[in-house]
Amino acid sequence: MEAAAQQELAAQAQPSGLRERIGFVGAGQMGEALIRGFIQSGVSTAANLSASVRSEERQRAMQQLGIQVFGNALLGGAEALCEASDIIVLGVKPQYLDSILEALRPHLGARHLIISIAAGAASAYVLGNHATLEDGEKAYALFSSVGLAIPVEERMMDAVTGLSGSGPAYVFLAIEALADGAVAAGLPRDKALALAAQTVSGAARMVLEAAGDNSLTHPAVLKDKVTSPAGTTIVGLAELESAGVRGALIRAVKAAARRSEEMG
Amino acid sequence: MAEALARGFIAKGVLQAGDITANDPSADRKKVFQSFDANAASSNVEVVENSDIVFLAVKPQFVQPVLKEVREHLTDRHTVVSIAAGKTLSSLLEAAGGDKRIVRVMPNTPCLVGETASAMCLGGRANEEDAEAVRKLFSAVGRIVQVDEKLLSAVTGLSGSGPAYVFLVIEALADGGVRAGLPRDIAVALAAQTVLGSAKMVLDTGKHPGLLKDMVTSPGGTTIAGYHELEKGGVRAGLINAVLAATQRADELSKL
Repeated sequence: MEAAAQQELAAQAQPSGLRERIGFVGAGQMGEALIRGFIQSGVSTAANLSASVRSEERQRAMQQLGIQVFGNALLGGAEALCEASDIIVLGVKPQYLDSILEALRPHLGARHLIISIAAGAASAYVLGNHATLEDGEKAYALFSSVGLAIPVEERMMDAVTGLSGSGPAYVFLAIEALADGAVAAGLPRDKALALAAQTVSGAARMVLEAAGDNSLTHPAVLKDKVTSPAGTTIVGLAELESAGVRGALIRAVKAAARRSEEMG
Repeated sequence: MAEALARGFIAKGVLQAGDITANDPSADRKKVFQSFDANAASSNVEVVENSDIVFLAVKPQFVQPVLKEVREHLTDRHTVVSIAAGKTLSSLLEAAGGDKRIVRVMPNTPCLVGETASAMCLGGRANEEDAEAVRKLFSAVGRIVQVDEKLLSAVTGLSGSGPAYVFLVIEALADGGVRAGLPRDIAVALAAQTVLGSAKMVLDTGKHPGLLKDMVTSPGGTTIAGYHELEKGGVRAGLINAVLAATQRADELSKL
């Protein structure tokens, strides 16, 4: 069969997939998770993915995924990556962004769409000055295939960083503390941790899925439903309120957002 | 709850709809079960005769009467699984007969979305095979651990009551997002998704949450700045106190 016809068939096999070639600059844990997610969800294929990474160890890890690998973008890898990509995802630490963009600039053309990702479990992407609506749709297709994609305006990015960028650390603290509480109550550590993590996961899922129609259910409405009169739950909740946990969480998000603003 | 369990078992393929038989005083509830191709029975005895594993999903005050009703039809092939809150193994065995195989399970509310955190304890002649069967079933709708019955109050304090603590956390995170300038709907969506994704990281990687925290707190960065506020605010102690207080209340209630 002709190569062109084969390509056409391959493209048709993934009707929900993007034909664009996607290149990652930097592929740490977040980048690797996205690459795996894109392949698994079918929104892209290993043949259409590439990564430019610094260390040999990361290069090996990327090769294992079956994608094309280029060397350090700052040491010559930028040109090859730009040539091999239509969409470029920047997954490098903030302090490297400027030098990376400088390295990429000479090799960027009109076809290139750049997406800069914020760390964290959720993704928020920004439509830059020259990005089109179509670019927004492509970015949405990519990121919604691996979880959640919410388009936000640039001025919200610090708040997004403070909440979902830094949020995982707050959740890890909460899970550890819940497990500690259960250990204090007599449960063995391993079972306490398993139940704590699963409880947190299940409760979050209720906010996201309890309505059954993709709409969110207000967490306070859910809280009301599970707090029976003078029961165990309202007693536990009263401790959280006494301790001012809500205020501390609000301050945490605000402090992280402020720090993000300072760093920007 | 029974519906959520049945749907979950079928969706994950641990059971087929035809393997399930249900009875309920309400004809409408039976129709719901039939709507996903499970069988409806006209009596509790009929359910028992057509089953190997019998789920008791009635309100606590009906557990003993129902067990007494079907007692004579329970043979040594039957495993009775009770998900009724507060009904102890001894009360179940008293009603069903001390030689029966009983498993007591404490699920939690997210069972409704197929993500329960639950615990089981064995009573009567229930054996390893029963534990394995129940584990396999509940793994289709979340996670289950096995404990001694005396630890069920602690399970209540953590996973029974825990979802409410998490709803509080999600609302507060969303409030923080709004404080920092996000529209409410975006803030809630990001908060819920962040909490879900982070919990999944703990579950999927098996890594200690403290280690995961280390991995995401870069020097002088945004995350450690936010994290610091939580420590300053004594959030850990608040959560520990919540679990302990709820456990104590569960103990009190079980003695009533």
